[in-house]
Amino acid sequence: MAPTVRSNPLRDPRDRRLPRLPDASALVVFGATGDLARKKLIPAVYDLFNRGLLPPGFVLLGFARRDWSDGDFAEFARESAEKGARTPFREEVWDRLAGSVRFLQGSFDDDAAFDRLASTLEDLERSHGIGGNAAFYLSVPPSAFPVVLKQMQRTSLSSAADSGGWRRVVIEKPFGHDLTSARDLNALVDDVFTPSGVYRIDHYLGKETVQNLFALRFANNLYEPIWNSQFVDSVQITMAEDVGIGTRAGFYDETGAARDVLQNHLLQLLALTAMEEPVSFGPETIRTEKLKVLRAVSLPADLARFAVRGQYEQGWLAGERVPGYLDEKDIPPDSRTETFAAVRLGIETRRWAGVPFYLRTGKRLPRRVTEIAIVFKKAPHLPFDQTDTAELGNNQLVIRVQPDEGVTLKFGSKVPGSAMEVRDVAMDFLFGEAFTEALPEAYERLILDVLLGDATLFPNNAEVEESWRIIDPLEEYWASTTPHRYRAGSWGPAAADEMLAADGRRWRRP
Amino acid sequence: MTTLWDTTGSEVVKALSAERRAAGALAFGLALTLVAVVDEKHVSEAEGAATLAASAHPCRLLIVVRRQIESPHPRLDAEVSIGGRLGPGEAVVMRMSGRLALHAESVVLPLLAPDAPVVTWWHDEPPARIAYDPLGVFADRRVTDVTTAAEPLSALFQRAADFAPGDTDLSWTRLTPWRTLLAAAFDTVTDTPESAVITSGQANPSAQLFAGWLKNKLGIPVTVEEVGTRPDVTKVTVSFGGAELAIARTDSRTATISRSGYPDRVLPLPGRGVGELLAEELRRLDDDEVFGEALGTWSGLANLGARSPHREHIWRDPMDKSVTVTSTAPPSGEAHAAQDGTTKAETVKAETVKAEATKTGAARTGAASSAGSTPTVGRSGSTARPERPKAGGA
Repeated sequence: MAPTVRSNPLRDPRDRRLPRLPDASALVVFGATGDLARKKLIPAVYDLFNRGLLPPGFVLLGFARRDWSDGDFAEFARESAEKGARTPFREEVWDRLAGSVRFLQGSFDDDAAFDRLASTLEDLERSHGIGGNAAFYLSVPPSAFPVVLKQMQRTSLSSAADSGGWRRVVIEKPFGHDLTSARDLNALVDDVFTPSGVYRIDHYLGKETVQNLFALRFANNLYEPIWNSQFVDSVQITMAEDVGIGTRAGFYDETGAARDVLQNHLLQLLALTAMEEPVSFGPETIRTEKLKVLRAVSLPADLARFAVRGQYEQGWLAGERVPGYLDEKDIPPDSRTETFAAVRLGIETRRWAGVPFYLRTGKRLPRRVTEIAIVFKKAPHLPFDQTDTAELGNNQLVIRVQPDEGVTLKFGSKVPGSAMEVRDVAMDFLFGEAFTEALPEAYERLILDVLLGDATLFPNNAEVEESWRIIDPLEEYWASTTPHRYRAGSWGPAAADEMLAADGRRWRRP
Repeated sequence: MTTLWDTTGSEVVKALSAERRAAGALAFGLALTLVAVVDEKHVSEAEGAATLAASAHPCRLLIVVRRQIESPHPRLDAEVSIGGRLGPGEAVVMRMSGRLALHAESVVLPLLAPDAPVVTWWHDEPPARIAYDPLGVFADRRVTDVTTAAEPLSALFQRAADFAPGDTDLSWTRLTPWRTLLAAAFDTVTDTPESAVITSGQANPSAQLFAGWLKNKLGIPVTVEEVGTRPDVTKVTVSFGGAELAIARTDSRTATISRSGYPDRVLPLPGRGVGELLAEELRRLDDDEVFGEALGTWSGLANLGARSPHREHIWRDPMDKSVTVTSTAPPSGEAHAAQDGTTKAETVKAETVKAEATKTGAARTGAASSAGSTPTVGRSGSTARPERPKAGGA
């Protein structure tokens, strides 16, 4: 917690009506005219402003190559906010925010542009009282990171000491493409900024349900005693998308599903599911536990069987014919990039020894769904006749991350009637659905946390590097193989089903 | 939706479970039950507000309309719906007339969601003492709105006299955006505040609570200036020796923050509807200690937070003319008189209840004379408490 909060006599920890507001500060967005800024960042800033969560003296400063004036950018931002905002768009609210929107034209190798940026921030200090506080959002391709960071170092933009306030940088995945490149990138950003000033966005962690996982596990007494290998049979973490690669062909073909999703989102979900209880609910303590779990992750010896990747062929999805991956625009016809990845991981700790964690992700699967399913062992003894429990499966606790945020508990129940017949039923807790309107967007939450300086929901460099340590051997093995084919609109290649069948299990249909 | 005419409580319970079954495999995360007590003439307003609040918080909504108490025939009409016009959750609207209206709890109790907190909200004026209304006695949280009273400041004082942890008033909720802005502005303040002035319309309870809160937190004299015709708080100014920090409402959505040595800033300060206020109330189901302190500081009643959160129902029959209870407009229009009225009613009716109002009323007079700056009740020329500083232009 910032020291200002303690000394402010009007702040009272018991007064939970008052939201925490960040310090007066500037949010500088590099690549401010791009897709991410238009679809997510600017609408999130508008929503935060509209909810009254931005401080007096907040400035949104766009930086991009386009030759725009403040007015052009404000107009662009207005349109983005109007289209993308979650809260109702009101002209007069926007007008207030528009007074705090600035634009700077420049390319990343243009020294003069960065000098202007530095002097603009000094001007804002005088005109808006931002107190030297600035967060830099790098919404630019990773290849541009080094240039931008060097420029910020040259102009002392990154130096909190020189500015008299705080300086933070926000970067988006991919955080490198393997361990070596991730280390280089981390060394660079941590050197230009301080490690504690670097915020790596994994927008999954901004989702309410993921945060609810902390509450579910550590606020209840019910689950922790069974959250271990004695009771858990296996864990399945799925992130399925129904869409194809969209307009990201160039990026995607270089990256593939494992680097795009497995390395970050799925491993983060795994870490949150498997971590020990942190000693307190703070960024450092939570990261410590996540890192311990990631360090304990082991790969299967038989990669051919337990690390499956796939590539979609043409097929039918949601009533429409969709092209295969190789027929997508700008994809080389001989591409061996995977659009589906499934792997069995182990966690070598006393709690999890022997419990397989099955992770899978893919594009062009039947529906968009992300969930964590804890599959429990069957009862050691059933006092019923064999036929009575024929339809009884494993108990499951499913955390639905999206959509239909919530929790499902699957358990056996007697079928009404004279016979003793036990069948699986599901008990649903809906976190969202009818109440989704009240759930803030992940970006809203994360941008606010950056401005507040709360790093709880951001993975740090050690976690990123540890994740690459897990992924690198997979990529190495896959480099010499061709992905299995699967029909668009199916749940992935047959090899993925065989992988679970080899263990005597099967994938849960999400 | 099921509509039941001239029915019984058990029929309503049956209809609700039938609706639940008809809705299929639907298990709402029932976090609480919201009991809304409404006057017949405000039903649609209250329904709108409750629906908005219920869509933000999964709850079972029970709307109780009591009418025609003098009618010789007790009667219950009910409407049961799930995912209908009253939001996504379960909702029951009950109209009770005749003597049944005095025993609303007999219908409501079996309808409460099992072992979930209960919030009772009076859309219109609450009873002079919450304990008179059984629907308030079993609630974990009680939400009132003193602005619905003819004399809002007397009503606010009555809330303080009758306070128990778990009570809140929407006039406090209305302040949240103001307090948010002021607290944020204070994040960067290092000077020591010396005094504060709050500007509002006549007899605005929010302004008084604002003053109580600032006085409690900053320990400085706070005056309330009552000017203009707008009822709400329009401005707050905090002085630090030479410097000043002011937040003034510019229009219905925004406010300007001005601070010596800094450029003016315009920020959103939305006026909120009752539905949004209620949604804020449902966000927290424990008691609001900060409200208790602000109310205590304003009213001069000490240790409100230390009172028992539990109330015992006090039976009171409005048809019994031998008991006079002043709840709406005290005879002389004075908060003090309302106090006396309540005290009288108690001594007549309830032996089991401690005469809290008497004790606290005495405490209040003491506190009022010792505290340098006392709450301004917005009524100048009061003879009851001449030591009070005059409000406004008096």
